[in-house]
Amino acid sequence: MGTRVLLVEDDERIRQALGLALADEGYDVVETATGEEALEVVDPDLDVVLLDLMLPGIDGIEVCSTLRSRGDLPIIIATARSDTADVIAGLEAGADDYVTKPLVAGELSARIRALLRRRRPAPADDAPATPEVRLGDLVINTGREEVERDGRPLHLTHTEFRLLVELASARGDVVTREQLLQRVWGYDYFGDTRLLDVHIRRLRRKIEPDPDDPRLVLTVRGSGYRTGP
Amino acid sequence: MSSLRRRWESVTLRWRVALAFGLVTTAVAALLSVTTWQLASGYMLDQRERGATNQAVVDARLVAENLRRTSDELPTLLVGLTGRPETSVLLRSGGRWITAGREVDVDDVPPALLAAAPARQRLEIDGLPVLAVAVPVTPDGDLFVRLAPLTELDRTLRFLSGVLVTGTVFAGLLGTLLGWWTARRALQPLSELTGAAGRMAEGDLSARLPVRREADLAPLAERFNATADALEERVRRDARFAGDVSHELRTPLTTMINAAEVLRRRRDDLPDAARRAVDLLIADVQRFHRMVEDLLEISRGIQVPEGHDLAPVDLAVVVENVPASLVPDAVVDVAEPAPLVTADRRRLDQVLANLCENAHHHAGGVVRLAVVRRDGMAAIEVDDAGPGVPVELRERVFERFTRGVRTVRDGSYTGGTGLGLALVAQHVHGIGGRVWVEDRPGGGARFVVALPEVAL
Repeated sequence: MGTRVLLVEDDERIRQALGLALADEGYDVVETATGEEALEVVDPDLDVVLLDLMLPGIDGIEVCSTLRSRGDLPIIIATARSDTADVIAGLEAGADDYVTKPLVAGELSARIRALLRRRRPAPADDAPATPEVRLGDLVINTGREEVERDGRPLHLTHTEFRLLVELASARGDVVTREQLLQRVWGYDYFGDTRLLDVHIRRLRRKIEPDPDDPRLVLTVRGSGYRTGP
Repeated sequence: MSSLRRRWESVTLRWRVALAFGLVTTAVAALLSVTTWQLASGYMLDQRERGATNQAVVDARLVAENLRRTSDELPTLLVGLTGRPETSVLLRSGGRWITAGREVDVDDVPPALLAAAPARQRLEIDGLPVLAVAVPVTPDGDLFVRLAPLTELDRTLRFLSGVLVTGTVFAGLLGTLLGWWTARRALQPLSELTGAAGRMAEGDLSARLPVRREADLAPLAERFNATADALEERVRRDARFAGDVSHELRTPLTTMINAAEVLRRRRDDLPDAARRAVDLLIADVQRFHRMVEDLLEISRGIQVPEGHDLAPVDLAVVVENVPASLVPDAVVDVAEPAPLVTADRRRLDQVLANLCENAHHHAGGVVRLAVVRRDGMAAIEVDDAGPGVPVELRERVFERFTRGVRTVRDGSYTGGTGLGLALVAQHVHGIGGRVWVEDRPGGGARFVVALPEVAL
């Protein structure tokens, strides 16, 4: 069975053309025109959601946070402009990646593949003991994709988890923004940093005792990030 | 003459006013000085002459008395009459000259003066200015001559003339300075207007003149500001229109791109003619796409004030992050330590991408990418080995829809949108930098993006 993509787009012609092109790329496309409809048809078989932020009725941001609250289904948001507050709002609401219009099936396909590559592998009971990485008082289990503090699990999305692992495994060395984007989002980064900034912010909110005074994930002015001692 | 006039006209108004002030003041001061000189020197000389004459007359009377008594105290008397050492007295008595005081040769005294006695004359004897007064002593030709030195008067007059000349020159300078200052004050609004118009020409649409209360100048400022408002509004409206149009174009564009994508995947199944048509279609849909994107970006830059995404950026990282596919053959050359600038990273990346694409389309690609320090600024240099940009086109290339001179529009060209460099200029200005093109040493063009460096 191919990858199932939920396409939420209110413009019918775009929906048709994009659906056609994505199907042509080998995806199994489910099309909906509104947010309400999208929330109804979401099922566990879906692999990724492609969500237009400008929707009639409930808007994209709300759909995004509702979907995120239900689970960690990968979400890519589509925005009209890359420099508006939309992007930040969508990413803050839990989106994993964003694309700007006009949407091109080829580019979307690359993003989807990159997103799915970092999905959790099917948990196997006979999985070998996987290495644990420690960061401050966090215990990161890379195999089971779990993070614990004092024995209590913290819930991260796959993207947040990959980001944390990349930072933690550098063991205090600076990881540049480009390296992070390349390793976590997996495509040749060229042009935007908000994606990373917002994810770092989301990550800090989940793992830092005081997100305004980060001790685990530190900013290195002008180049990137590193983990604290 | 006409060349003189041309030179005069090339002098700035401020300096012309200053010079005119200076000339007038000098003339007035000179006139005053000359008059003062005439009056003062005339008066002093007159006083001196009168004094000397009276003295000589009194002396002559004493000598006459002495001669009548024919005492032999005459030489003593004469010595007594000299008074001061620079003074000489001469007495012709019975065709014989007796002198006393400072040594003088009788031949130095002009015979005309002696013949005309009583008479007086100013002379120079042995380098000393003297006033000679000749008075007859007796009716039978005895003559008394007193040579009084004028050195003191001369010194006084010289001092006076020095004061007057200095005063005149000083007044002239002061006048020039006053004129310069006055002109500057008077022309201040003009300078402001020049500044504001210049800023506007450089693209700062918010340049305005301060509104002054002076009745003469207020209308100028108001009219300028009103014109600027109208211009700004118009530019923004045009930008908004371009933005709206591009925005609206994106919906059909999305449909076209994705439909074309499907066709491209089926390209090999198509008959020959349809395949060629699909190739053409896809190439132009892509170009259309880029053009709409660039237009949106440009109108966005004009409408939205920049500055909301500014952060410190390491230029080395920016340059090293340019995808190798854009600069396959470039040497990368980064100054140590690499400079840091405050910039919107997304726009800076786009600037670099556009410059590299421009080199690719017009000059066979980038040969060197460098981060350097130039004239106190941090700079990125993008070099190509193409034909270079002729001097007369170096500003125009940054305007919208200026295509390279070599660009042949025969269909083989599917590269630029004509907006890439305009976008570069807009972005660079937006983050407080400058961009220009110059000759690359060894041939080709060098595009330079200079930005203010910040400390870490």
